[in-house]
Amino acid sequence: MLDNNRTHPVITIVFILSSLACLIPFWLILMVSLSGQNALAKYGYSFWPRQFDLVAYRFLAHDAEPILRSFGVSIVVTAIGTVLSLLITSALAYSLSRHDFPYRGAISLFVLVTMLFGGGLLPWYLVYTKFLHLQNTLLALIVPGLLGAFNVFIMRTYFTTSIPPSLIDSAQIDGASEYRTYFNVILPLSLPVLATIGLFTIVGYWNDWFTSLVFISSDKLYNLQYFLYNTLMNAQYLQTVADKAHIDTSSMQVQPLEELRMAMAIIAVLPVALVFPFLQKYFVKGLTIGAVKG
Amino acid sequence: MFNVKKGSLWVTALLLSFSLTAAGCSSGNSDSSNASDSNAPANQNAGDNAGTGTNNAAAGNAAADNAGANNASTKALDPYEVVMVYPDAKQNDLGAVQSAMNDYLKKTYPDMNMTVKLNPIDWSAYADKLNLMMSSGEKFDLLWTANWMNFETQVNKGALLPLDELVDQYGPDIKSVEGDLLDGAKRNGKLFGIHVHQELGNPQGIALRKDLIDKYHIDLTPLQSGEFKDLEPILKTIKENEPSVTPAVGPAFPLGAYFGSGSMESIIGPVGLDQRDTNPDNEFKVVDMYETPRYMELAKLTHDWYKAGYINKDATTPGVDIWKKFQAKTAFAAIGTDLEIVKDMAIGQPSVMAGKSAQLGMDIIQVPMNIDRLHTSKLSATLQAVSQTSKDPARAMMLLDLFYKDQNLLTLFNYGVEGTHYALNNGQIDVPQGKTKDNVGFYHDNQWMLGNQMLNYTRLGEDPNKYKNYEQFNEMVKSQPSPLIGFVFDSEPVKNELIAVSKVQSTFDPGLQSGQLNPETDLPKMISKLKAAGLDKVLGEAQKQIDAWRTANGK
Repeated sequence: MLDNNRTHPVITIVFILSSLACLIPFWLILMVSLSGQNALAKYGYSFWPRQFDLVAYRFLAHDAEPILRSFGVSIVVTAIGTVLSLLITSALAYSLSRHDFPYRGAISLFVLVTMLFGGGLLPWYLVYTKFLHLQNTLLALIVPGLLGAFNVFIMRTYFTTSIPPSLIDSAQIDGASEYRTYFNVILPLSLPVLATIGLFTIVGYWNDWFTSLVFISSDKLYNLQYFLYNTLMNAQYLQTVADKAHIDTSSMQVQPLEELRMAMAIIAVLPVALVFPFLQKYFVKGLTIGAVKG
Repeated sequence: MFNVKKGSLWVTALLLSFSLTAAGCSSGNSDSSNASDSNAPANQNAGDNAGTGTNNAAAGNAAADNAGANNASTKALDPYEVVMVYPDAKQNDLGAVQSAMNDYLKKTYPDMNMTVKLNPIDWSAYADKLNLMMSSGEKFDLLWTANWMNFETQVNKGALLPLDELVDQYGPDIKSVEGDLLDGAKRNGKLFGIHVHQELGNPQGIALRKDLIDKYHIDLTPLQSGEFKDLEPILKTIKENEPSVTPAVGPAFPLGAYFGSGSMESIIGPVGLDQRDTNPDNEFKVVDMYETPRYMELAKLTHDWYKAGYINKDATTPGVDIWKKFQAKTAFAAIGTDLEIVKDMAIGQPSVMAGKSAQLGMDIIQVPMNIDRLHTSKLSATLQAVSQTSKDPARAMMLLDLFYKDQNLLTLFNYGVEGTHYALNNGQIDVPQGKTKDNVGFYHDNQWMLGNQMLNYTRLGEDPNKYKNYEQFNEMVKSQPSPLIGFVFDSEPVKNELIAVSKVQSTFDPGLQSGQLNPETDLPKMISKLKAAGLDKVLGEAQKQIDAWRTANGK
């Protein structure tokens, strides 16, 4: 720190430059999404399109109803999923952080194994469809993301390093039950790590399209990312399919692919970009602590 | 020490069961899944349910009315629902179309006693979902597949039923329409897919802007030679007079496209037969396309054109859409592109590209430079197959057969319900009055996925004789079959070499194909790298398989 407590100008410049490096591509995406088809073919990408056109957004607006519905699905899934996930992850992590918890080592090992080995796509699919029958329900979008072993370990480390065991002892001496200790003492002290893991989970749920691809066939339950992915892929397939199948597709429609792609990126990224500032203050602290392994 | 309360243990146990399912590491569960399999609905596609309920009510008992049914079996069939799986974007009125198909089936073919369930899957998910459905043993009957859509894999893992006997027994119309063409989907001597009856190849050549041809009174007769080099004076005229226009744009890699036109029959990667070799002894001789004189000739031509500024500089950028350049009026000719099939097609003979002109809103002229020979790969480029999980493959084949003879049923699948989804306008398909294809509820271009295309109506704006032209074109293609018709290369023995070869290709191809590299110096470099990557082994393997195939088939 400098004497007058102000940031060194060099650091400021470095930060401005790196912020620009993040913002400029985003600006370019926005501008491409706003440019007309012919302008793109003629002049390529540019930071200020010579020809503004909302064709891509009109194309999406044509699908306004399904887009809004998929927005709703994404929001519901992300909200419910994140709350449940935080509850389960923190409960498991807290239990594992207590030295007096029976079979602690064995259970930790069990969690660790899920981190190292996955069952593969097919068993995963079979469990959810044939055993739990979750296909085409919102639960199919929520349950698979509920618990991540990595998050459990970050949280456990937080609990073991930042919450003194004597605090738990004293709470229990004062008559708090295990649940009361957990909900009223531990969780309020753990906001940073909860916010961090919460943000991971939010981004995870928000960006997840693969679960939809696998489990959802009713278009009413598509989440936003999958809806966008799907629209784009359908447009793209129509263009390439003619080559591959050697068919005459002269009657098929040319769609504004490039612009569409960019317009979708804009739509999909906004909500998460808006959530980030609210969680940021916890984020910094939470990450540092998670980074130091106990 | 053990002062944790019992309740917490329960919570932990619950959590663990969650983590078990969530992390997905549960090998034992496949057993229990079979138990619940039998009463699980195969696929709850909420969008499709509208139509399925109505069918079973009238199951059977209409046996008195035999009109229109030519089913061989005499005993009454149990009601059966044939599930059809194919890729398609969402159609709002799918349920209505499905019930219309079922009403029609019930009325016209009562003794087949079957209903159909349409189960379209989005293009984006088709390959993955189909794979999961097959692996998890989900029940479905007919599926669309293609050699570029995992057909070989599906055959190899046994997901498709062999169809020979089924076609013999239940597919008389398929056999009469397709005949020998069915053989293209044979693998190891057994038939695994039914070819969709359609055009048997494509013409490739040059597409040009009519306005500029007229403006400069360009004479297209030199192109009757069928050689791309005779295009050069025309490109020169444009280059000199229209500075803002790129004279020639290719599909992303122009050389590949026009080299492919009649120069080479590809077997795998750069390995294939030289179609220009007139020596009959060499008919089955496998060569490396980069070592043919033709490739060098065309690579030099491309390089010269590139240096002269005739070719677009962004040809190597992925996703370049040449037609958008036409729309933006920055391109004059597309070289090596697929053309439309018109009446009396001949090399070098200009004609209007009707569909493309309508689509782009400007007149485009096409000049064919090559017309495909009949290739095996074309005969498996779009197929219908029967899933191993079908409970009644015979019924699936009966339904498929109908699509080769019943125009009404095929029209229902392709265009929906008359009056609601389409209206006939002088014998062509048009959207009903006041509707557009965006709000009509059922509009797709899936004709090429099913049945006999020659039974189809044409859409308004298409040549009303489109399918007659196809027939004529097919005769032309069939008259010059590839010597390798029926041969399918098994790439398994040279899998690793092929990966190494394609790596070398991907480093050199863009530069050579767009004309940016000088073939005199870089082509030999590439060839020696290909040899180091094991190309000779691939060549040897291809020759070996072809020789074995020739002996087996007496060619």
